[in-house]
Amino acid sequence: MPSDKLSNIHNDLDGYNKLIRFYEEHKDDIFENIEIELTTWFDANLSAVLGAILDTIKNDGLNGIKFINIQNNIQTILQKNGFLSFYGYDKIHDTFNTTLQYKKLKPTDSRYFNQYLEDDLLNRKEFPNMSDVVHERISESIQEMFVNARMHSESEFIYTCGQFFPSEHRLNFTIVDSGIGFAKRIEKNLGQTISSSDAIRWAMIEGHTTKQGVSGGLGLAILKEFITLNKGKIQIVSGDAFYELSDNTEKIQKLNNYFDGSVISMTFKTDDNKTYKLASEAQENINDIF
Amino acid sequence: MDAVKIDIFSIVGQKDCTLPEDGDKVFNALQRVLKENKKVLISFKNVEKLTTAFLNNAIGKLYKEFDEEKIKQSLSVEEISDSGKVRLKRVVTNAKNYFKNPDKMRESIKEILGEDDGE
Repeated sequence: MPSDKLSNIHNDLDGYNKLIRFYEEHKDDIFENIEIELTTWFDANLSAVLGAILDTIKNDGLNGIKFINIQNNIQTILQKNGFLSFYGYDKIHDTFNTTLQYKKLKPTDSRYFNQYLEDDLLNRKEFPNMSDVVHERISESIQEMFVNARMHSESEFIYTCGQFFPSEHRLNFTIVDSGIGFAKRIEKNLGQTISSSDAIRWAMIEGHTTKQGVSGGLGLAILKEFITLNKGKIQIVSGDAFYELSDNTEKIQKLNNYFDGSVISMTFKTDDNKTYKLASEAQENINDIF
Repeated sequence: MDAVKIDIFSIVGQKDCTLPEDGDKVFNALQRVLKENKKVLISFKNVEKLTTAFLNNAIGKLYKEFDEEKIKQSLSVEEISDSGKVRLKRVVTNAKNYFKNPDKMRESIKEILGEDDGE
């Protein structure tokens, strides 16, 4: 079998199309040796996506996975963030502290995840211009999305990874599950057939939840408000849909192939010293809670 | 008698209150107190992280079982951060709406699908 070239993979529609095409091409493989090349560019937070894909196509070890050619700069960063440790490479110390470690977590590892967020993200000194409230909001956003993945996906593992870009004052953080995705979750819990694009559009609306007997649907809505003010970005991939909120504009595009699972990728601006007032804080007396 | 104090930290056992199943433990305690028609003071002392997923289960679910007025008269909170308060307020408002119309979720999907038909 010829090797698979994953070349020039960015956090955009084209990058996701390449990764999910690779998934589509191999998800039904059996007793194959899959050889992968990573060239030109690979956005490090997407390690979470590649990790989920490789675990699925590995098919419980019936297929072999081998990296045969990784461009030096990509290899270094993927050794620093711990991704390549899962594929026999040594771990390299991250001198500049720009990676957020790649993690493969069981849904029951949430306490460990909280600790990792605190150590890897919150206790850093790299954000001199960030107010405490922004710090807190970023942490809460990531927690909410992790809990969502854990609650809705039926995934055996949840994959996370992040990357800092200090000079651009940007932090990317990605959470991936290889579970059932937005549309199938709606179909299963609410009995309605829906496209992946419509499923994401529906889920982005405040108060919309597939949970039974308990209200919900606030996590994504609050994230969207915060990211809009922070001038960051949200990307969601589920099924054959790609959603992006960027520069206050939402768009949904169709992917060329279908991903069984969900990706939520957040970009936060770290040079943000605003004191945040979200909708409910500005409009209502928050002391009158009940 | 004074209000019964429910200490979130001691029920959950840690400072991070993020998981819905931990919220259920708090819900069970609150439910018992409200059934006895007692007032409750919910203390968030030493709680550092709160998600809406936790609060939906801990407090939002009360609106399924008890009427709004009773909850309003019975519950109060202390030692909650401003951002926690904001989350809790949203959770409460959302829960009130949700339990008023249990079929709303299915209807909202039809609305999304309907928008497509009109395009």
